[in-house]
Amino acid sequence: MSSCGNPQSTDADELMPRRLKFGRSRVCVRCRENPGNIVIRHAVYCRDCFSPLVTMKFRKALQPAINASAGTSKRPRLKAEGNLLMAFSGGLGSSVLLDIIHSTYFSGQPPVDEDGNPVGGKKHPRNASVWPSASVCYVEVCSAFPGMRDRTEEVRGAVEQYPSFEFVPLRVEDAFDKSWWEQVGGAPSAFQLSVDLGIGNLSLASASSTPPDLTPVESMRTYLASLPTPTAVSSAIQNLVRMLTLHAARSRGASHLLLGTSLTSLSIGLISSISQGGGYATREELQEEWTPSGFGSTETSRPISIVRPLRDVTMKECAAYAWWNDIKIVGRDKSARAIQGIANLTKDFIVGLEKDYPSTVSTIARTCAKLAPKDAPNGNCILCQRPVQHGIQEWKSRISIRSYADAKLALAAHTHPSSQCDPPAQPLDPMPSLTPRLCYSCHTTLTSRSSRGLKTTGHLPAPLPVWSKQSGQSEMRDAIADYLLDG
Amino acid sequence: MSSDTLSLKIEFGGGLELLFSNQRIHNISIPASVPLDNSITSADSIPPADVKQADVTFLMHYLRETLLTERPELFIDNGTVRPGILVLINDTDWELEGEGEYVLKDKDEIVFISTLHGG
Ligand SMILES: [Zn+2]
Ligand SMILES: [Zn+2]
Repeated sequence: MSSCGNPQSTDADELMPRRLKFGRSRVCVRCRENPGNIVIRHAVYCRDCFSPLVTMKFRKALQPAINASAGTSKRPRLKAEGNLLMAFSGGLGSSVLLDIIHSTYFSGQPPVDEDGNPVGGKKHPRNASVWPSASVCYVEVCSAFPGMRDRTEEVRGAVEQYPSFEFVPLRVEDAFDKSWWEQVGGAPSAFQLSVDLGIGNLSLASASSTPPDLTPVESMRTYLASLPTPTAVSSAIQNLVRMLTLHAARSRGASHLLLGTSLTSLSIGLISSISQGGGYATREELQEEWTPSGFGSTETSRPISIVRPLRDVTMKECAAYAWWNDIKIVGRDKSARAIQGIANLTKDFIVGLEKDYPSTVSTIARTCAKLAPKDAPNGNCILCQRPVQHGIQEWKSRISIRSYADAKLALAAHTHPSSQCDPPAQPLDPMPSLTPRLCYSCHTTLTSRSSRGLKTTGHLPAPLPVWSKQSGQSEMRDAIADYLLDG
Repeated sequence: MSSDTLSLKIEFGGGLELLFSNQRIHNISIPASVPLDNSITSADSIPPADVKQADVTFLMHYLRETLLTERPELFIDNGTVRPGILVLINDTDWELEGEGEYVLKDKDEIVFISTLHGG
């Protein structure tokens, strides 16, 4: 951590002149009557005008994603294709998410516009029918952190305040649990896919070297322990939580998965993802649709829209909204923050920036929204399901010579036409490589080296999450099947 | 003047209470006049030029010295509240009230809410 340093306030002070936090008047800019209670990006609002402002931004971000006609129509008829699943962490954003969804669509009260009148008038169809059912998914990550408390029951208590929501508790180790995978409709399989992280080309491990009968927790810990840096561990955990949530949504016939990402956390996520090589999937950080493949029924494999209805609402607004609307925050375990990495450094940086320059975070999100990848994707990454960029492994092998040994390898690759990253079709090494099926960012997670050098875990193959077998494209599945039959 | 005290209601939210014995509400009394350097020694014994009226900056230092039980860096950073903590003075954003320079009055209610618990 000390080697990276924290650029927080000092650098920001040097780069930009400090601006006034609000204009001259302390009167609310909306009603122009009440004295203001809060400053949001230089504008002053009273308490009465503040909450409707937040719910209005929320609906504006969400409703165009519910059905196509809702975007332009003044009186949208909202009807989703499938069910609703909300990802809940116990943190501020997702607590606000649950509360607004409940009060807007499930409380039996029609949603109100900025002036407190029912949207679309009194005859508007009951909004409770936008989604046939709603559930709340919580992924307990305590087994990934030594000494962390299991908070499932606390979270259950928070979710049970909303009787129309069903609680779906998961555990991060479910990602390595075959029985969970079959429960959510994954294809049954007798083997666990493992990868050899000790060598550069990420070969699938041979069956004999795979440690037998690890429990899901042991598999998860082996996987995390094999990752090269703290940043890689924290992004791997994030990705496990994301994929578990996606499969929970899919298995429950959801058409919409809602995340409690605020504008502030969105900017943190964007910057930290780009800095970890996720630039190609920047648009997916903002708004994404996932089309599952390889799952039987249409009911549980329809495309799922992943929406962040709080993407225009800052963390400060979320905090004030929760405070003024009596939303109890379970909070997160502090050991999760103790893990160091790019994500937490970025968080400190963005939060510090937001305090003094509150418009900056929305500029980050707006700028990223304009980024578009140049080429069509080359399938989806088997670890995170995000698009894979064409030719990343060639590019990576060109730009990175990481050690003397690598240099020798690269030299060898240069003299022989086959690149070191493609699995050479030699009898010596018949195992398929994962590299072509990974996005740049997951490839980096598995292979990036810290300045302290590569971990030497004695070449134990790392078990991969249960979905990696199925989520590959068919050619990958075939390659794996062939390999397993041969082996 | 320096013998006057102010009764204040302090409330913590958003998980910040975890740093303060996990207690959300604290009713406290602080002197109306305090040392300019925000130390919590009595202002009686120091020259009047080094004394100020108790403000929110003093309150933060006072809370850190007297009520905070762990990880002070999560509360105060560079002499002010750590970025990501929302401060309400009588239900109004402290940015509208002069932030740390706000001079406290008897019966004021000050709320510190952490926004750092993410999504
Ligand atoms: Zn107003
Ligand atoms: Zn990936």
